[in-house]
Amino acid sequence: MSETTDPPQPGTSSFDDHHPPARNLLDDCVHCGFCLPTCPTYVVTGEEMESPRGRIYLMDLAAKGEIPLNDAFGSRIDSCLGCLACTTACPSGVQYDKLIEAVRPQLERNVPRTPTDRFFRAAIFHLFPHPGRLRLAALGGIAYRALGIRALLHRLGVIRRLPARLRALEALLPPVTLRDLLRRTPSHVPAAAAAPAGLRVGLLAGCAQRVFFGDVNAATIRVLAAEGCEVYVPRDGQCCGALSMHAGREDDGLERARRTIDMFERHDLDIVVTNVAGCGSTLKEYGALLADDPDYRERAAAFSARTRDISELLAELPPLATRHPLPLRVAYHDACHLANAQRIRSQPREVLRAIPDLEVADIAEAEICCGSAGIYNLVQPEKAEELGRRKAASLHAARPEVIATANAGCLLQIRRHIGEDVPLVHPVQLVDASIRGVHPFRDSAKRRLPHD
Amino acid sequence: MLTTTTITEFEEVLGTEAVVTDPVALRSYECDGLTGYRVTPALVLLPSTAEEVAACVSVCAREDIPFVARGAGTGLSGGALPVAQGVVISVQRLRRVLSIDPDNRRAVVEPGVTNADISRAAAPYGLYFAPDPSSGQVCTIGGNVAENSGGAHCLKYGFTVHHIHAVDVVLPDGTLTRLGSHAPHQAGYDLLGAFIGSEGTLGIAVRIEVRLLPRPAAWRTLVADFDSLEAAGDTVTDIIAAGIVPAAIEMMDSLSIEAVEAAVAAGYHRDARAALIVELDGPHQEVASQFAEIQRLCRDHGCTHLRVAADADERAVIWKGRKAAFAAVGRISPDYLVQDGVVPRTRLAEALTRIARLADAAGLRVANVFHAGDGNLHPLVLYSEAAGQHDRAEHLSTSIAELCVELGGSLSGEHGIGTDKACSMPRQFDADSLATMRRLRTAFDPHDLCNPGKVLPTPRLCGERPGPYQPHPLETAGVIERM
Amino acid sequence: MAISGTELHTCPATPAELRTVLADTVADHPKVRIAGAGTAAEWAAPPAPADLVVDTRALRGIVRYNPADMTVAVRAGTPLADLRRELAAQGQRIAFDAPRADAGATIGGLIATADAGPAQQAYGTLRDLVIGMTIVLADGTVARSGGHVIKNVAGYDLAKLFQGSLGTLGVMAEVVLRLHPLPRAGATLRLARTAAEAVAVGRRVMAGALEPAALEWCRNHLLVRFEGGQEGVEDRLSAAARLAGAPGDVLRDEEEAAAWRPVHEVTLGRPGDTVLRIGTLPGRGSRLIEAADALAARCAVETDATSSVGVGAHTVRLHTGDPAARARFLTTLRAEAAALDALVTVRRREGLPDGTDVWGPPPPTVPLMRAVKQQFDPADRFGAGRLAPWL
Repeated sequence: MSETTDPPQPGTSSFDDHHPPARNLLDDCVHCGFCLPTCPTYVVTGEEMESPRGRIYLMDLAAKGEIPLNDAFGSRIDSCLGCLACTTACPSGVQYDKLIEAVRPQLERNVPRTPTDRFFRAAIFHLFPHPGRLRLAALGGIAYRALGIRALLHRLGVIRRLPARLRALEALLPPVTLRDLLRRTPSHVPAAAAAPAGLRVGLLAGCAQRVFFGDVNAATIRVLAAEGCEVYVPRDGQCCGALSMHAGREDDGLERARRTIDMFERHDLDIVVTNVAGCGSTLKEYGALLADDPDYRERAAAFSARTRDISELLAELPPLATRHPLPLRVAYHDACHLANAQRIRSQPREVLRAIPDLEVADIAEAEICCGSAGIYNLVQPEKAEELGRRKAASLHAARPEVIATANAGCLLQIRRHIGEDVPLVHPVQLVDASIRGVHPFRDSAKRRLPHD
Repeated sequence: MLTTTTITEFEEVLGTEAVVTDPVALRSYECDGLTGYRVTPALVLLPSTAEEVAACVSVCAREDIPFVARGAGTGLSGGALPVAQGVVISVQRLRRVLSIDPDNRRAVVEPGVTNADISRAAAPYGLYFAPDPSSGQVCTIGGNVAENSGGAHCLKYGFTVHHIHAVDVVLPDGTLTRLGSHAPHQAGYDLLGAFIGSEGTLGIAVRIEVRLLPRPAAWRTLVADFDSLEAAGDTVTDIIAAGIVPAAIEMMDSLSIEAVEAAVAAGYHRDARAALIVELDGPHQEVASQFAEIQRLCRDHGCTHLRVAADADERAVIWKGRKAAFAAVGRISPDYLVQDGVVPRTRLAEALTRIARLADAAGLRVANVFHAGDGNLHPLVLYSEAAGQHDRAEHLSTSIAELCVELGGSLSGEHGIGTDKACSMPRQFDADSLATMRRLRTAFDPHDLCNPGKVLPTPRLCGERPGPYQPHPLETAGVIERM
Repeated sequence: MAISGTELHTCPATPAELRTVLADTVADHPKVRIAGAGTAAEWAAPPAPADLVVDTRALRGIVRYNPADMTVAVRAGTPLADLRRELAAQGQRIAFDAPRADAGATIGGLIATADAGPAQQAYGTLRDLVIGMTIVLADGTVARSGGHVIKNVAGYDLAKLFQGSLGTLGVMAEVVLRLHPLPRAGATLRLARTAAEAVAVGRRVMAGALEPAALEWCRNHLLVRFEGGQEGVEDRLSAAARLAGAPGDVLRDEEEAAAWRPVHEVTLGRPGDTVLRIGTLPGRGSRLIEAADALAARCAVETDATSSVGVGAHTVRLHTGDPAARARFLTTLRAEAAALDALVTVRRREGLPDGTDVWGPPPPTVPLMRAVKQQFDPADRFGAGRLAPWL
């Protein structure tokens, strides 16, 4: 049983020569298992090969040529959400992020995917990184809901018969309004107040973000301006490359990185800010990703050094605008790409706690991913669903009046599983509401808070 | 024997999704926390209920298939090393906290629940589970029961065996039975006590009723730096002699401190030759007066720096550093072996001197992290696989364990014998003692199917070692005796 | 060796002599009864007639004691009371207080009977304090498990099998015990409380993290003992009184000893008394005690009881009533106990009809116990009758 059907040559690595996982990085893992309870797929399956330790073990065997690069190996790597909670838990400092990023392109190159898998992935990459196309699709989505097609299809049981992945895509469609969709973000907003620093800040509008969460961008711009920043929002909207990088589509990702750098360099900025955790972690990696590119090496490093998540920046800035009380119990969900990839955990909480009367509730299993993870909930729907349900249960248990999280993917995923009864916002929307003294939830945005 | 028919039978019992047959996936189960020994199992089973475990074991018993239970696979003695042509039964899908009874201070949990999760579940009632192995965030209670795990606080609170009321066990013939009871003082042999610490060789724990303790009213934690391990060791001796039983007394030498600081920056001083972590817990006044006394003793022994944890966060940081020590050594050495031996506390200084001498002779570095309060040493042998030092390191590590026995101690304080030290057992126990232990095993597992090859030496595993296994002819004749 | 009746009586003074006598008598004296100080001769099921009595009282004395290690190795026939004196001189003790120890019980005997006292609240029983043991089996095999260090997981812990073994597996030759420091101060808070109230107060004292050394309810009083530093004990005495909602009596020295005397009397029983041991979930203890009270009146027996309320270990003494009445009491109490998941066994069987089932319903582990017995003592030399009908 223990023999593989197609035994590779022991001693010769099964990886190709283009950036295979580095031997010293593989050796850093001492197999202690501290990563296990933080790994979402391990928590769900209890299977060793669905854990970071198990995946590294298999990578190591592949590097030693003891197992081939095949579907059996590839499926274990595919199932990783890339949440990087394991890197936070690891006492040996294993750079799992580097390992998984090295292995994914290897599999893309060397393990043929099934035609349907290829098609589905291609469709995602032809859709999400392109705001124009996405907006069109979302428009279709609005029609789909508004015309009662969605309800009809559900009633007829058509949805139930869809393949799991399409079902996931269908369920994730956020309730976007036409107004949201047609909103265009202004390209330049002057500071609303004079600040000592007077920072010139560029906002990455994001691809999926600007389509589905235009209100988050609007709130971000208002808050930055209120805090004395001059805000630029470059128009040449395209994806920063995060989705591609997380899925192992390296060349595509690098090209997008170069274009993003070009785009922001035109504005002579002090800071590049993002309100999407997944984008932020990639922006901060540009320096490392483009280290081999002589034209971009230094520019990318400088770009990464300038990048901040919105909560990170707000925690750094001395508060200028008055915060009005928001008597709300908030459950803050750590987006993996913020908490693990960027190690930003305390700042969003600090920023929220600076709002008078607002209470930040602790939630159980805070370190476990919600199952969104880039395109994970689209390509691994079963595991993502279980994780989503689990996260929703933990959130519900904290009895929040509102849930805040700083990543578009998490917002979509949690909204799907938590239902309609608890509003979901980006933390910056609460800050915005507090500064403006209005109620934070979109449905009642016009209603002034009672104490104002 | 394992055949396709048997595999089908397992699949019928558990569902195909709980039977791992993929050769690549199986390889990820070939070792636990001790990677030096690797055996690929023929099959991995992931049952979800106690009854499913019993069903799996019944099939194994009927078909004469050896099986090995596995929790989180964090063990450091190769206790969950699979058997070739055998089955691994993972308890990772038995992860429910079944009930908590705050009035009677106990919880019933499944074996795959992590040690830390028990305390987490008990926390709302002001209760916790006392054994706290360093891997508590990861390791399972099933594994704790198998290994009789201790932890930093076992000086005051004892080991797993002192905190278990009852265990539902699947015996090696597939029978589901209960050892111990709800109520204290069940008559007859203490089979529960014998089962705990039997390293998975007497059956598989599938439901565990643990004792919970009220959280202490107060705790105080300090880190005292010293210029020498001797000064730190003398301080420990005096603390104990003063009639104080701290919750924990831990010691780290300069190499360990360096590693810990590189990994988690817990605020230990890199220039200290030895750091003592002393923690007291208990009623307020008791803790306050004893803590003052401990600080005085530290100063009397010339401690160079005394850091008192100001709050729960600082205490957590101090412990995080200590608990990450093993894995952190990866930061200062490409490879290392974790040893686990015990010496009588009064021989700590002697043991450390001799370990240093052995290390010098081998030309390798040894970092020391240990539970000083009970003489449990964890020498970490640093080496480089790439530089071809593996065999030398193995040999040094084994010599250290056997040195502990020579000094009147034990081969293992908490990691277990497992695969790793089975061949050293004759150093600690004579042939009759080992044979008597074998009688216990036979009573539970007459066909030697349950985690075979662990704990007790076998000729196949250890080679034909003469001497310890055969009674001396003079012994047989009654002329000499080993008592 | 001496012959009394048909029994050969032997008093080995060393483990070697013990081993020799067992090995030499395999053929001629197949049935062996192990005897210590005889303080539990009336306990458990009666022994069957034997050919050889191994008297362990000569097998006494400290083998190895290094106070700084806080462990001691003794021969198993050593009376605990003797050992206490030696240890106290070094400011140390065995944290175990079964009243039988004062009557001269040996270490081995206390282990074989799984005896326990009020200190089990904080320290457990001897099972939790034994860290090593040397045993001699029926064929003369000498085996050792554990060792001289407190923390030790090498090999199986054979000593656990001897806890409660009643001389049915082999003879304990040496025992290594973990020691504790003698507390600097100690005192008892006595509160007049019913059994149910005592359980509630005990729970509050524990939940208050006051770490009582003992919580014993006896004859309508709860005794809460604290041990530790002078200030700490005072502090906890007043905290416990606050939690109990009454000042109570703080007792020290002679007064304190007097307050604990009833606990000893109930536990040991007088000649002619029947003594039962009951284990319950701590929270259900008072229900069983109340049931026993009510039952005593119905069965025309007089009883008194003592309860370690934090542990759920209880002792009920029957000091009047004819054997039939006592048997009726036992049977009925067992029936009530079963509904509460409680266990009722007979410690002192005096006053009960011959052939009374002293153990009650067999636990599911009886087949395993038999398998262990079969492995350790295949010729069934040791302790016939004591664990009957299970063995």
